[in-house]
Amino acid sequence: MTSPHILEIRDLSKRFGGLVAVNGVNFTIAPSETMGLIGPNGAGKTTLVSLISGSIMPTTGDILFEGRSIKTLPAYRRARAGIGRTFQIMKPFPGLTVLDNIAVGALFGTSTAAKALRVAREEAREWLELMDLQHQAGRRADELGGPDRKRLELAKAMAMKPKLLLLDEVMAGLNHAEIDEVIEAIKKVRSTGISILVIEHVIKVIQRLSDRLLVLHHGQQIIEGKPDEVLEDPRVIEAYLGRRRA
Amino acid sequence: MQLLAQILANGVLLGGLYALMALGLALVWGVLNIVNLAHGAFIMLGAYVGYYLFTLFDMDPFVALPISMAALFCVGYLLQGGVLNLIARSAMFNTLLITFGIDVVLTQLAQILFSADYRTINPSYAGSNFMAFGVTLPWVRVLAFVVALLLTFSMWLFLLHTRLGRGIRATAQNLGAARLYGVAPKSIYAMTFGIGAALAGGAGDLYGVVSQINPYIGATLTAKSFAIAIIGGLESPLGVVVGGIFLGIVESLTALYIGPTFVDVASFGILVLVLVVRPNGLLGSTS
Amino acid sequence: MNLRAKFLLTAIAVLLLGALPWFASPTVIQFGIATLLLATLAQGWNIIGGYTGYASFGNSVFFGLGSYGTAIAMVQWQLPFGVGLAFGALLSVLFALVMGLPVLRLRGHYFAIATLALSQVMTAIVSNLEIAGRNTGLVLPLLNGDALFYELSLATLVLATLTIFWISRSRFGFGLIAIRENEDAAASMGINTTLYKVLAFALAGVFSALAGGIHAYWITFIDPVSAFDLSLNVKMIIMTVFGGPGSVLGPVIGAFVLSGISETLSTEVSTVASLFFGIVIVTAVVFMPRGLADLIRRFRDTGWRYFNENVKQHRL
Repeated sequence: MTSPHILEIRDLSKRFGGLVAVNGVNFTIAPSETMGLIGPNGAGKTTLVSLISGSIMPTTGDILFEGRSIKTLPAYRRARAGIGRTFQIMKPFPGLTVLDNIAVGALFGTSTAAKALRVAREEAREWLELMDLQHQAGRRADELGGPDRKRLELAKAMAMKPKLLLLDEVMAGLNHAEIDEVIEAIKKVRSTGISILVIEHVIKVIQRLSDRLLVLHHGQQIIEGKPDEVLEDPRVIEAYLGRRRA
Repeated sequence: MQLLAQILANGVLLGGLYALMALGLALVWGVLNIVNLAHGAFIMLGAYVGYYLFTLFDMDPFVALPISMAALFCVGYLLQGGVLNLIARSAMFNTLLITFGIDVVLTQLAQILFSADYRTINPSYAGSNFMAFGVTLPWVRVLAFVVALLLTFSMWLFLLHTRLGRGIRATAQNLGAARLYGVAPKSIYAMTFGIGAALAGGAGDLYGVVSQINPYIGATLTAKSFAIAIIGGLESPLGVVVGGIFLGIVESLTALYIGPTFVDVASFGILVLVLVVRPNGLLGSTS
Repeated sequence: MNLRAKFLLTAIAVLLLGALPWFASPTVIQFGIATLLLATLAQGWNIIGGYTGYASFGNSVFFGLGSYGTAIAMVQWQLPFGVGLAFGALLSVLFALVMGLPVLRLRGHYFAIATLALSQVMTAIVSNLEIAGRNTGLVLPLLNGDALFYELSLATLVLATLTIFWISRSRFGFGLIAIRENEDAAASMGINTTLYKVLAFALAGVFSALAGGIHAYWITFIDPVSAFDLSLNVKMIIMTVFGGPGSVLGPVIGAFVLSGISETLSTEVSTVASLFFGIVIVTAVVFMPRGLADLIRRFRDTGWRYFNENVKQHRL
């Protein structure tokens, strides 16, 4: 069954005991499209990303990737299928070198053949250069500073050759100059044709990167559409700033 | 029916002592995130303190209790401040290794100093019993049980209501914030470890009265303390008491109905089950 | 030193070791067998503890299963030694599969404690089994010729080390290391962490079982307490950690060095040897937590400051 969408979320909900973190979310992402995801703190954005990547399982609803339901697949199978993600609280491999960190993605990711370590490292080098990390290749991952760590997270995910990339608040903790650098890196990633779901708080990032924008509030989606329209919508302003501003 | 009641009574009495044994381990684990493989050695040393005070000075073991506790408090305080401190920020696994090393050192020192002969503390009332509800209750075990519960309850009060106790709990929950409030982590850590050791020492003194001691009893007692701490859950002294009594009853029942050689299978089998099914213990929250 | 040179040196060392029985006294040969078996155990632990990062206190179970598997096959069923060894290894693999799945879901010290508890349970179960001779244990047929056991132990150690060498250069090994460094990230990057962990556990089990089988036949007698002896597990951990976990030769060096020193001290009383072990562990964990291999590698650059650095990095 061919689907025009890379990702289709149908009526997705997640309940933790009494708390409904994600409530009946519906949307799709097309190939090569970048979808922004915004919402106030606690809106359920990271939960949604974790549901898609497989870190947690949904309570109800379905997730279709390339037309197939993946809601029962464990995380590693989804990674193999082509879903890559970065973590808000970054998860590098601390004792490994920067190069080897990326090589893990090249070795496992979506590649099915048993690749030689040497080949994986060569592939990793390409991503190293794309992300401007050549000079850090031999350093331990836990020795890197802020923006470099973000670049490493991106490179690791990209080395998996994903078809859909989930970026969870990549810009957190960066200053303006650093944000611009990482935006450029993401644009490079976009140019390879993959679909991206970007969670961000920084509005300018969303505006510069997203083709479409989805807004979550209290686990429910309140609107979806083109960034300019969505950001002007009174419901969105109300969600962020409260009633008085609207 | 009568026999069952007797077995249960034995189990409960044993369990109270077990609970005290495990309390120090649970405290250090819950607060300092230190898994102390030398815990059993502390119990063993406390037992020897009680033994020598009894044989050399005719001191009643229940009178010697505070001395055992004080002695082991010093040992614990110094060990934490001088040795464990040095690897506080190292990988979790290193704490396991280093406490194991300390266990070996303490056990071998005890072997050298005290020899491997089995000993026991035998006060004059050791053999006497009294009857209640048709069940025979040995005086020493009942006294040990009462003292154990008293100490546990005091521990709980201490943690909740004293300044130091609150400081310890604060440090357990949030080291950074605790520092901001003027809590000095090094001394808190040393104090906590010292208290854990003191509780073990006290348990050891009582253990010496109800059972036999030699330098090598530490390993099994450490394992049992783990089982109790995990089964009961690390969240409160109450959990440890429940865990201790639960294990005591399980052991007594197993010894009678299945066979004494199956006691370890039962206790450690339950431990594995709890770890796999409900890692926060019987009383813990399911997260 | 490049790979070729290392290979050559190791090969020469193996040849020299292999030639030992022709030159040495019986006591030395016996010491050799014990050390080689310990080194094999250390390498086994290295797979699950060093490379995968799961500190197992249950490897002594594999050793015990290997011992009992071999003993039961030979004593109760009159099967030859080779079959016994294979049977012991099979038991270990089964155990790794059955118990590994639930227990490997636990992290950190919970895993360690679970394996510790398992070793106690197994000891207790075996001491109740009729076929295993209950508490009295089993007596195996006598084979004279320590030299044979020596060469067998050496061969097993070489096999274990070659396996680790393969692991260190394979996709499988890379996956294990990724699991050790950050298991969540490893899973999200496509590594089947459950499969890999269980495989590592089973592989560790095979080598420990082989060591157990050889040991049982060599000393001709086993009982539950000595077969599932927890102090063995601790020794293998110490030797691996001391020598360098996650390295190919580290555990072997650790085993040789620590056994050697312990043996020379043992001319005194055995308690002193044990005391020595305890002090070594404590000092090593404080001053060289990454093992001898790392120490040798970094000493050239940092010198004596190496020890100081380690303490400064990790104290409160």
